Amino acid sequence: MEASFGDLKKGQKNCQRTVPCQYFAPQKIEEALEILSKYGKEIKIIAGGTDLLVQYYDRLYEVSAWLDLKNIEELKEIKIDQNQIEIGAMSTHTQLESSADIKRYYPILSQAASDIGSPQIRNRGTIGGNIVNASPAGDLLPALIAYRAQFKLVSHKEESIVSAEDFFLGPKKTILKFEQLLSKIIIPIPEQNTYSSWIKIGKRKALMVATVSLALVLSMAEDNKIIQEVKVCLGSVASTPFEIMEIREKMIGRQFKQLDFNELGQLVEDRISPIDDIRGTKGYRQEVTKNIMINALEKIQETWGQSQND
Amino acid sequence: MTKLKIELMVNRKKRKIEITPSTRLIDLLRDDLQLTGTKEGCGKGECGACTVIMNGELVASCLVLAPQADGAVITTIEGLGSSDHLDPIQEAFIESGAVQCGFCTPGMILAARRLLEENPHPDEEEIKRGISGNLCRCTGYQKIIEAIKLSIARLSKSDSGKAK
Repeated sequence: MEASFGDLKKGQKNCQRTVPCQYFAPQKIEEALEILSKYGKEIKIIAGGTDLLVQYYDRLYEVSAWLDLKNIEELKEIKIDQNQIEIGAMSTHTQLESSADIKRYYPILSQAASDIGSPQIRNRGTIGGNIVNASPAGDLLPALIAYRAQFKLVSHKEESIVSAEDFFLGPKKTILKFEQLLSKIIIPIPEQNTYSSWIKIGKRKALMVATVSLALVLSMAEDNKIIQEVKVCLGSVASTPFEIMEIREKMIGRQFKQLDFNELGQLVEDRISPIDDIRGTKGYRQEVTKNIMINALEKIQETWGQSQND
Repeated sequence: MTKLKIELMVNRKKRKIEITPSTRLIDLLRDDLQLTGTKEGCGKGECGACTVIMNGELVASCLVLAPQADGAVITTIEGLGSSDHLDPIQEAFIESGAVQCGFCTPGMILAARRLLEENPHPDEEEIKRGISGNLCRCTGYQKIIEAIKLSIARLSKSDSGKAK
């Protein structure tokens, strides 16, 4: 069998073979879930396609059925609902980057979206795809965990809500079952006096997969002096994006002037488990992680300091 | 073989085409419609040579399945000007020497076109960001940036910068 396709030019004329290939583009989530339950593992769900079509670049012919979510309008909405925001899984990075609500309440989610790929990628790629693809380097993921996002998973049988930090199991592995669809991302609106910082390190500005990324979200108590809550989340330095929990006890209940940034940077460095790969070595990642933790704290302290002068 | 019928508007012409579901938009454009101005470089969304404008947005046509473009309005480089009447951006690219091997040029010009539609007076940083999804291995980008700056001046004078 293989030999007869050996002369196919890479990526081209992919479906020119005898395997029937089906395509569904339902308008309702319910229809999509029915199709999913019927075809199960045989069907590929496609959102923006910016990761999927790269993965299937030279084997598109293997796909026997597509479930395209493009016509499901409710998956594209971003709306505030009381004290939380609901982001439809098909919202694009361009939408996240330009949404006034996201910029106002979740500035580093907007920044992370604007750091993804290129205009071409941001116009097509979706938040749902970024999550489900579960790359350890997924750009939105550290910020989503830091903002305490939850994901709504739906199937033809049931719905469930799961915390972002419980969703990822490993590189490209999640708890999502084949009959489930990620429908929306729900994030609580942060307290007043919330400060955040996002730092992404890589080899160039555009079309760059992060070598290390860090999202830091910190809320002050009402007095705007004592740290009430903090989350430091990292990408590309472990098998999944994750939070450095130990940071909490070192920062919560304290004031900026009581913190030793160097010690906090070291703590983050000690808690990551990076590997050598094409984008950087383990040692480089350790050193850079410590430094960007310190940078993030300095940036937040500066912003906080300005608010003190107002 | 399962075939799908799709309908899309390409360069202001309505086209009805039968395709197999896993056909990519770039293959539909190049092979079915013979619009070979759209180039395939990497096939993975990194180089931008396959850039087209779809429903008013810049996309990499190698990362779009043709059925995803059902009902879409698409502009390729062939839709910008004609050999008698070049688009002002095309003229500016020629005058500035922004074309060397030419492989990136269709995508680069469409990226410039889309940028100037959205932001008619971009500064240099905004220009760089606007073409950040398009690689050029010949020019070193300087002449391309100059060409886009020249286009800004031309378009604001002629006021022909509207989407076609």
